[in-house]
Amino acid sequence: MNNPIDFTCAEARPLVPAYLDGELSADRASPLRQHLMECADCRTQTQAHKAQRQWFVPTPDVSVPAGFASRVARRAFQGDTGETPVSTETLAPVLPFLLQMTAAAACLLLVLSGVMRAVDVPTGGELRADDAATMTLEEALDRLEALDGEDGLLAEGLNR
Amino acid sequence: MTTQFSDTRGDRPSRTAQAREDARLVEETLAGNQLSFQLLVERYSDRLFALTRHYTKNPVEIEDVVQESFLKAFRRLDSFHHQSSFYTWIYRITTNTILDFLKRRGRSPIQVVEDPEVLARPEPTDGFGPAAKLEREEIVEVTHKVLAELPDIFRTVLVMREFDERSYQEIADVLGISIGTVESRLFRARARFRDRLIKDYPEFSPGGDD
Repeated sequence: MNNPIDFTCAEARPLVPAYLDGELSADRASPLRQHLMECADCRTQTQAHKAQRQWFVPTPDVSVPAGFASRVARRAFQGDTGETPVSTETLAPVLPFLLQMTAAAACLLLVLSGVMRAVDVPTGGELRADDAATMTLEEALDRLEALDGEDGLLAEGLNR
Repeated sequence: MTTQFSDTRGDRPSRTAQAREDARLVEETLAGNQLSFQLLVERYSDRLFALTRHYTKNPVEIEDVVQESFLKAFRRLDSFHHQSSFYTWIYRITTNTILDFLKRRGRSPIQVVEDPEVLARPEPTDGFGPAAKLEREEIVEVTHKVLAELPDIFRTVLVMREFDERSYQEIADVLGISIGTVESRLFRARARFRDRLIKDYPEFSPGGDD
């Protein structure tokens, strides 16, 4: 490698962009400059960096819309916070997904409610209306007292 | 009342005078003077429009981003303590607003608008420079398309350095990073730009066909 003085090519090349930007301190720029004078490979690299910059051509000034400053100042003093509201345009990409998820959740709820009803509904063996028909009044009151707990308020009310 | 001043790029007051005027306008704004804030907006809106244009070509989006940035600045104006210039401060707010905007929108490719102004073509060069036959509009289009493919941390430093010609110190101030980080990030950003350019446009590589 044709590395003169203090710098190797590997050390020199990362410094080239900052050197071209004029941002390298003198103590770093001086040995780099010396290296570039004596190293053809690094000079080629430097030329490539310079050429790449030509992709960043100055662009014409953007015209600011008439009345922009006065509009912004007025909105600022009216208390506009500058927070961007969530617009329908912002939601547009996710809207189909949200609708699909809502539909799926509705279907799931429907199925679950059906399952719960099937589980909770007493079967014929558990619920027999003819039991009540054959029950005497005293039996019925006993059942009510048992259901009503220690106070038996409901049974008392019925007794009256 | 406040003093009117020129805001053209070629006729700006000196930095010190500008900083003094900015400080006065900020104080007057905080005291409730709407016109002073309007003057601050007038002073910097052209540069912030130009900055934002590197991220979106939609005029409505550009205006929205710059407006949102100024409104945020107004809301936080009492936290501006003149430790940096007002421009650096509003530039930082705008950069963050742009990054938020890009996140909200997703990374859709930039749409390059027609640019009626035709400037001189760059000199033909070796290496990764644009071919001499490319029109300026084509260079702008290719550059912005490649930039749009880069991660935001690389894209922002390239825009600040290559288009806005901000110093490393200014970039460091805006992004809240060290100068060493700016240097290394720029180095990587340029390498990524070159790699992406060669990948998407192999005809522009040193050995590529014109």
